[in-house]
Amino acid sequence: MFCEKVIELIRELHRMSDGQLPAFNEDGLRQVLQEMEALYEQNQTDVNEAKSEGRADLIPSIKLRHCCLLRNQRCVTAYCYDRLLRIRSLRWEYGSVLPANVRFHMCAEEVQWFSQYKKSLASFMRSLGGGEGLDLTQDMKPPKSLYIEVRCLKDHGEFEIDDGTVILLKKNSQHFLPRWKCEQLIRQGVLEHVVS
Amino acid sequence: MDPSEVEFLAEKETVKIIPNFSLDKIYLIGGDLGPFNPGLPVDVPVWLALNLKQRQKCRIVPPAWMDVEKLEEIRELERKEDTFAPVPSPYYMELTKLLLNYASDNIPKADEIRTLVKDIWDTRIAKLRLSADSFISQLEAHAKLDNLTLMEINTIRAFLLDSLNCMYKLRSNLQPGSSKGQFTDY
Amino acid sequence: MDTQSYLPLQPGVGMEENFLSLDDILLSHERLPIRTECSFPRLGYLEKSTDAQDIPEGTKMELPLWLSKGLYEKKRRVLSVELPKVYREGWRTVFNADPNVVDLHKMGPYYYGLGSQMLHFDSPENPEIAQTLLQTFIGRFRRNMDSSQNAYNEDTSALVERLDCLEKALFTSGQSGLNGFQSWEKGRASQLTASSLVLNYRKRKMADVPP
Repeated sequence: MFCEKVIELIRELHRMSDGQLPAFNEDGLRQVLQEMEALYEQNQTDVNEAKSEGRADLIPSIKLRHCCLLRNQRCVTAYCYDRLLRIRSLRWEYGSVLPANVRFHMCAEEVQWFSQYKKSLASFMRSLGGGEGLDLTQDMKPPKSLYIEVRCLKDHGEFEIDDGTVILLKKNSQHFLPRWKCEQLIRQGVLEHVVS
Repeated sequence: MDPSEVEFLAEKETVKIIPNFSLDKIYLIGGDLGPFNPGLPVDVPVWLALNLKQRQKCRIVPPAWMDVEKLEEIRELERKEDTFAPVPSPYYMELTKLLLNYASDNIPKADEIRTLVKDIWDTRIAKLRLSADSFISQLEAHAKLDNLTLMEINTIRAFLLDSLNCMYKLRSNLQPGSSKGQFTDY
Repeated sequence: MDTQSYLPLQPGVGMEENFLSLDDILLSHERLPIRTECSFPRLGYLEKSTDAQDIPEGTKMELPLWLSKGLYEKKRRVLSVELPKVYREGWRTVFNADPNVVDLHKMGPYYYGLGSQMLHFDSPENPEIAQTLLQTFIGRFRRNMDSSQNAYNEDTSALVERLDCLEKALFTSGQSGLNGFQSWEKGRASQLTASSLVLNYRKRKMADVPP
């Protein structure tokens, strides 16, 4: 049956329901487009024949292929759109710099889209608060205090805090740091928030 | 909503404290605070009360309802009535948790209060589920949420709204021809 | 509670599909038994049982829902769609007697979704099908709610296994409400946590690289 290939693409995404981004399936997509091309050409032939030779009996088959074309179109659009939703969420979960193993799974257009999304988000955040700017990715939960206790889960090197002091984030070391400085590192799993 | 956001709203409620320091009135966007005089009770928002308490700058006076006898009465009423009885504070659950966690030494019979409030909560949640079920099974179109608190609604909100949405869709199946476009999805 | 920033598009549930929803695309991929009411020239290779060039009129075969919907016409007979067993009278009687005993996952897993979609095809039984779908949902609601809001962390896996896709999604949203409240009760609601997406990525990376 037609349109089986494109369902594989959809299943790939559906299986990763937590929002992970599977590798962009360039090969699969090409096969779908090839199928569409073949469907289109066959339909052109049949349409011409139906017109010139008055073969109305071809119409059901033409319609069937046309449905398949529309179906492929729907699925490919849904595939690309769902991937964009995932890529957008990466900006919020990881921050503006993505690790190589994640970036590796995007196609060139997606990388470009990501960097444009990053830019528009940044300029929006800069425009907030009467020109002062406001980082919307901060304080996802209402803060309880300015400083929090954190433990290092892995070596992260040197880290500069507000007053210019540089501290060394060494595995298993514990620090008392400004909350806003830590939030992203906690989200990335570098630090762990210690609650007493 | 995340429960931590509900708690954040609860922290704006006021509570009486007895400070052990003195400070002039301070003027903030959210309202004026103080003045603070040692031994003189003053009303402050809960977030400030907890902060001062943690730094041993004050003693917290528990709200009048945070009292074993009063809560027992409320619990009995809640168990007797089929509908939701009025609660002592729209944030009774959050305030109980916050104050008992940070200032249990200022609250007499803290453990009993904790149990009583939990009993009241459990009774109310059971009622909430019962009424959600009859709401669905009797195909009601609207419901009164009198006396329910934000935290209570919040625990069931997502589930109930999604269920109602499904039910709405399944109900509109009963009226054929209600869907506009025909066969537009391939 | 963990806030997820990836929110997939929700399925349409009723008669209308959500165009870009992955769930709806997979639902419309479900196969239906049909009978052709006209011939489809030059498509014989789609029907594996014959070597003929055409699919002749009167062929019984299976087509996905999306294609059946696309080809079906009320005025002109192009194909007729057979009602899957779960929606026929025999099963409807079972559902109406006690909807809680049925394993909707096995029967579906898109019991409600596919059932609603079947209403697109003219059938005298449509009103009863729609009624049974609604009554089944209502009849199973209490069990579904109680288990998803189960505060004692009892093992609900046996029950969840028997839920249809739609019910499973509801179950998950019920659980997240309860988990959020419970972690607040334990004082963990204000704790900042690592993104579960990041953690899942790391797990996968570890699994990819053999030690």
